[in-house]
Amino acid sequence: MALDAELIGYVLILILLVVFTVFPLTAFIYSMIFARFHHASNHKKLLSREKYVMQSLGKDNLHTLSTPVPDRKISKAGLVMSNITVAPSWWQLFLGTIRSIFGGKIESYDKVLAYGRSEVMQRLREQAIGEGWDEVINVRVETSMVMNKVKGKNMNKSGTLEFLAYGTGIRE
Amino acid sequence: MMQNVMTSNTETIPGFTITQSLGVVTGSTVRAKHIGKDILAGLKNIVGGELKAYTELLMEARNEALGRMMMDAAQRGANAVVNVRFATSSVAGGAAELFAYGTGVIVTEG
Repeated sequence: MALDAELIGYVLILILLVVFTVFPLTAFIYSMIFARFHHASNHKKLLSREKYVMQSLGKDNLHTLSTPVPDRKISKAGLVMSNITVAPSWWQLFLGTIRSIFGGKIESYDKVLAYGRSEVMQRLREQAIGEGWDEVINVRVETSMVMNKVKGKNMNKSGTLEFLAYGTGIRE
Repeated sequence: MMQNVMTSNTETIPGFTITQSLGVVTGSTVRAKHIGKDILAGLKNIVGGELKAYTELLMEARNEALGRMMMDAAQRGANAVVNVRFATSSVAGGAAELFAYGTGVIVTEG
């Protein structure tokens, strides 16, 4: 019986070892090798969606001006909004941490933020089309970091960011 | 009732004139993330990109805040809310407060 207890102890230690060393290591390597394919495919999808909207409307339906430019009769207006939460991968986070020691341009974060911003704008376009608005005026893009504060301290370890785009949809 | 309230983040609603201002209308909600979803989002973090669980949670919360703001406006007798703004603040323990506010007004066409 004593041997059994000892054996169970060893097995438990082994399991803990696997969970705390092997898993993060494999996850890190996975992130290093495969994350770029995920990002590339997301970016490709985004580009094709943007192209589709541009082609079907013939113009961009988002404007940052507060009045519709050719002044015309509006029958209905309403708020349109869309959001996205993005985070860099472990590998990008690692690269960013290394880069931030020496300072300078951090390309790995650059990509994530650029993707988030263009994705949220594209979602606003699609949302506006889906809700039947002709155009969206006074578009604003905001950034917030709401999901990563723990007990008052800013613990943005994973670099999660939320982008919010909103504007006023108008219908003739 | 709520469908009749128009919302806009511009100072006036294009095509309408404001006849009466009824003051600030507000709506807010506090949400915390579900621990299971949090763990899944943590796993998704390995690859990076979009974290759908958080996106949905925040959108749902923001719609609720907006809905409450519109209810407030409707109770005051406003038929539109102009200059809508959003604010977010984090409360202790990973909870987030989503806040929407604007000016309740009565508008007429023309």
